[in-house]
Amino acid sequence: MAMAALRREGRRLAPLISPQSLTALRSSLISEEQIPQGVRSISTQVVRNRMKSVKNIQKITKAMKMVAASKLRAIQTRAENSRGLWQPFIALLGDTPSVDVKKNVIITVSSDKGLCGGINSTAVKISRAVHKLNSGPDKETKYVVLGEKAKAQLVRDSKKDIEIILTELQKNPLNYTQVSVIADDILKNVEFDALRIVFNKFQSVVSFLPTMSTILSPEIVERETESGGKLGELDSYEVEGGETKSEILQNLAEFQFSCVLFNAVLENACSEQGARMSAMDSSSRNAGDMLDRLTLTYNRTRQASITTELIEIISGASALEG
Amino acid sequence: MASNAAVPFWRAAGMTYITYSNICANLVRNCLKEPHRSEALSREKVHFVSSKWVGGKPEKPTVRSDTPEH
Repeated sequence: MAMAALRREGRRLAPLISPQSLTALRSSLISEEQIPQGVRSISTQVVRNRMKSVKNIQKITKAMKMVAASKLRAIQTRAENSRGLWQPFIALLGDTPSVDVKKNVIITVSSDKGLCGGINSTAVKISRAVHKLNSGPDKETKYVVLGEKAKAQLVRDSKKDIEIILTELQKNPLNYTQVSVIADDILKNVEFDALRIVFNKFQSVVSFLPTMSTILSPEIVERETESGGKLGELDSYEVEGGETKSEILQNLAEFQFSCVLFNAVLENACSEQGARMSAMDSSSRNAGDMLDRLTLTYNRTRQASITTELIEIISGASALEG
Repeated sequence: MASNAAVPFWRAAGMTYITYSNICANLVRNCLKEPHRSEALSREKVHFVSSKWVGGKPEKPTVRSDTPEH
């Protein structure tokens, strides 16, 4: 390390130093190099080591791709099945991203692990945009963060607005009980008029749609139906049983939140595996390209040194003969 | 209509609909016959770490887990 620094320093100072001192410097530097006496050809050791490390990295990325592919297959069916959970709610309560309320809570869904392309930064970017869109003089917008990666990005500039951070969601395979407990935790600890869940919706292995789902609090739902605003049609439904409408709406809003969050977490996990798969695929391809280039350089250098040696031997022999 | 009569009670106990439905779901799972029962119960494991933030500072994180720490 110190030697390398010295060499760099020497190169930088070279034009400033007079020729005599330069030769002195060079001889002192050469004596420090780890080249044995009498070796004239270029050492290929460095290239060989580099090739070995690139090959190892390629092996790792290939293995990660395989793992991501097998995980993706398991989680994709679950994510697609879970879409049936929120669709009835959209039919009944609708999805109203443009609703204007005082207390907004943005739930950013991200992954705990990295190496999965840009899905986490997309989720964070969309969350920031939603935050900006919903901030005003008498409004309050808070973050609830799911996953380590969005936390790392949001802590940098939105520290003040973070309410809860939830991590290590994917230690066990994702299931409804877990997500509903998380939803319960959020409901009990955060005051909100509208919850906005930001996640990456899985479309295919290479395309993910950043999506926002809006869940309104029961009071807001009631206000919207009574004023005949965006949810005016809800009044045409009949309420059965002994409960009042507000009770039903509260239960419904809570259940809707846990269902939508379940779907969001699954879709995001699915997108994560897909993104990781394509990222690892392209990185193993890059490693392959790099290996090809290094092999070419290596072989060319080796060939050149062999040719030089042959020429030396032949010319030496012919000098002896002549 | 027994469930209708129960509503005010679990609300008063500070439960949300989610907690209530989870307890009911767990009851149903416990009613399964043996090979299916343990399978269904082992599937629904809860594990996450939650930390509240107050004024830009994290508070001590709490671990919520069904599986004991090794």
